Amino acid sequence: MSSKLTLGIAGVAAALIIALAVIILVVAKGGDSKKSTDAPASGSDTPSASATKASADFGGKAASGELRLRGEDPLFLDPAVAQDAGSALYIVEIFSGLVHLDKDLKIQPDLAESWDVSPDGKTYTFHLNKKATFHDGRPVTTADIKYSFERALNQDTASVTAENFLGDIVGARDVSRGRATEISGLKVVDDLTVAFTLDAAKPYFLYKLSYPTAFVVDQRQIKSNPKNWTLKPTGTGPYKLKQWKLGEKLTLEAYDNNVLGAPKLKTINYDLTGGSTLVSYEDGDIDVTGVGLDDLDRIQDRSDKLNKEYTQTPRQSVDYIGFNTNAPPFDDPLVRQAFAMAVDRKKIAEVVLKGAIPVATGILAPGVPGYTADDKTYAFDAQKAKNLLAQSKYAGKMPEITLAESGAGATVGPTTEAIVQFWKDNLGVTVKIQQAESATFFTDIDNGKYQMFHLGWIMDYPDPEDVLDVLFYSKSKQNSTRYTNPGIDAKLEAARIDPNTEARLATYQDVEKQLIKDAVWIPMFFDTTHALVKPYVKNYAFPPVVIERFRDVEVTR
Amino acid sequence: MDGLAGYILRRLLFLPLTLLIVSFATFYITRWGPGDPVSVYSGQYRDQEAFDRVRHKYGLDKPIIEQYGIYLKQIVLHGDFGPSFRFRDRSIPDIIAPKIWVSARLGVYAFILTFLIGIPAGVFAAVKQGSWLDPFVISIFLFFQSIPVLVMVPVLVLVFAAQLHWLPSGGFDGVFSKSMIIPTIALSLPSIAGVARLARATTLGTLNEDFVRTARAKGLDEVTVISRHIARQSLVPVMTTVIGLSLVGLIEGAFFTETLLGIPGIGRFVFESVNGRDYNVILAIVLVITTAFVLANLLVDLALIVIDPRIRAGRGVR
Repeated sequence: MSSKLTLGIAGVAAALIIALAVIILVVAKGGDSKKSTDAPASGSDTPSASATKASADFGGKAASGELRLRGEDPLFLDPAVAQDAGSALYIVEIFSGLVHLDKDLKIQPDLAESWDVSPDGKTYTFHLNKKATFHDGRPVTTADIKYSFERALNQDTASVTAENFLGDIVGARDVSRGRATEISGLKVVDDLTVAFTLDAAKPYFLYKLSYPTAFVVDQRQIKSNPKNWTLKPTGTGPYKLKQWKLGEKLTLEAYDNNVLGAPKLKTINYDLTGGSTLVSYEDGDIDVTGVGLDDLDRIQDRSDKLNKEYTQTPRQSVDYIGFNTNAPPFDDPLVRQAFAMAVDRKKIAEVVLKGAIPVATGILAPGVPGYTADDKTYAFDAQKAKNLLAQSKYAGKMPEITLAESGAGATVGPTTEAIVQFWKDNLGVTVKIQQAESATFFTDIDNGKYQMFHLGWIMDYPDPEDVLDVLFYSKSKQNSTRYTNPGIDAKLEAARIDPNTEARLATYQDVEKQLIKDAVWIPMFFDTTHALVKPYVKNYAFPPVVIERFRDVEVTR
Repeated sequence: MDGLAGYILRRLLFLPLTLLIVSFATFYITRWGPGDPVSVYSGQYRDQEAFDRVRHKYGLDKPIIEQYGIYLKQIVLHGDFGPSFRFRDRSIPDIIAPKIWVSARLGVYAFILTFLIGIPAGVFAAVKQGSWLDPFVISIFLFFQSIPVLVMVPVLVLVFAAQLHWLPSGGFDGVFSKSMIIPTIALSLPSIAGVARLARATTLGTLNEDFVRTARAKGLDEVTVISRHIARQSLVPVMTTVIGLSLVGLIEGAFFTETLLGIPGIGRFVFESVNGRDYNVILAIVLVITTAFVLANLLVDLALIVIDPRIRAGRGVR
């Protein structure tokens, strides 16, 4: 009897062991190929003296000069291709371009120490800084600029943004459309001088050059390791990627020979394992954390011990309800205006958002040139809204209306619920809410499937062109509201190339007012970053757009 | 041994066929659904012409059948799962292996806990049939089974992390860390009831068998009767089946638990990959899980052959 029992148990154990072995085999296979792909990448890395020093620091738990953050895995560290904010956070530290935006969002020299603009505003000549080097010490030359730009545009690179950010250079579109391999408007004068000819005098060109698509990549590394160079890229930025273990940790280490000088902060350790950042912060495992709405009440309470470490910064991003101006009933501006006036955004901000996020005063967010604090949007007026709806051509025969938003479909955000309730109470119109996960949501917006949608716009660079021209020009590829207004088009075209900054911004402000009056959007809220920063971390900033931000941080722990 | 070897071979021959059907269905459904990786990855950039150029580069503009043919050729000839559209510079085994490894380690814990509690609880309930202890024990575990994970996890976090500060609220710091405790409990509690009830039912079926009476008549003490005679006879075959099949659960991961607790496992990753329309990654994960399922089934059957003399005799294997 007992021998059979032993046999039975042995059988179960064997089954378990074999099944586990299969799992381990699969996992181990992945592990093996990982090693083999890592090898060429780490081979191209030349450890410097500072690298050894920093790694020694890293062993000690509380070495000063080390910042500890919680982060997400970047998807892909190729500046020409990545356009998700998650990857961009790392890319802006590891790579750099000819110019960069400082904390006040002013253009500053980076790899280029100076530049001249021709009197007609169409030719930009950049003079590279002799001290500009890649992380392996090789000097940056204009050949690298040419390579990087042409690579970004090349179809093999598969960049969706290249044309958007580099397309103003004459001949750039020929490269992106596969008609040429070289940008005809890019002239390498000598090793340190490069000139770009633009198709028109575009005052925002320098802003576009500050964007990752225009960053410099190392052609030697890419040619020797075309598939995996991004696992350990040789950039030109203030930080080197020292280590990146998927889902575990990512370490950035100061590149002391950076063209703008050695960063004060030497090491940044990202914990990529996930979990509640606030608890980790309170436990002292990380130095900075964002704060969600749910915890905000507590943090903003002055008696809370964390309150002193709380900081809030506006982001250049606007949350809005967009109307499809082709779809009934929103092809009638009166209906759009009625919908805009029927929502009491101030009340939503106070009650639902607990005052954490400011009501939008217009389309242009704070910090974007042309922004003004005065409220340009429709004030809440239930009676007037009702009257406008009664005058519209859909009065009494309102079609079914659906508001689309991105989401998992389980719960509707309280903000959206409040908006829909206002429409019901004040206009007597029942609006259904349709949630779609983001892939479907964006595709359906592209195809004009929705009557209206709840969305946000994040500025790529601080110029009104980046929202007004991109989203409302009738022929823009991103005109998701399908708004067509020849008057607006003419103004946008003029502003694009207006060399007079004041007049140009005035034109944009005019366009903004007109768009709001026409109720193409209901601008809802401006986004805000709420965060906690430990008192021993100095100079930690939350820039309103994604730009390099660690260089001046000091940790005195 | 010929019989057994032939049997294994026959079963294994079905694996490629199964994989073919599963891969085609997954391939077709993912690509046929709305959205595509190029579009979703581009976020607020909606340049359809640029999308088309990128789609062309990845061959996404070809008919789905043709794309499937290319995929099949790649994977059969080169063992290449194709590119991930999100993590473009890493091979797919590189991406999913660490995620599976995380889920598997967590799964082993939950698995052990489930059976460690479930089987004795079920046997106990069966032995106590007729007394209040039987329904009491089973209903405790039924109670835990009926709490949705979406409720259970936040409550555990609230109590043990936020209030008592005994355990971390999430994350994954390896197998020997406190961060394993909440997910292990959350993953095992709901499944204990199933195991306990099964153990109870099979034990009940055996309790009145002749050999049990004989054992008791021999004067064996109750513990020996239960552990040696009842458990062996009834539990082992049934449990082998359940255990074997739930092994697959180890690598499937658990979406809700992993997401709520910020554990970088395969369950959460599948969801992210679906949202990101990372076709090749989704397909690779489905294929791995399918293979594991087929193999687990085979192992269970083999284990049963070894354990159960009747099956063994029937197959003529010894």
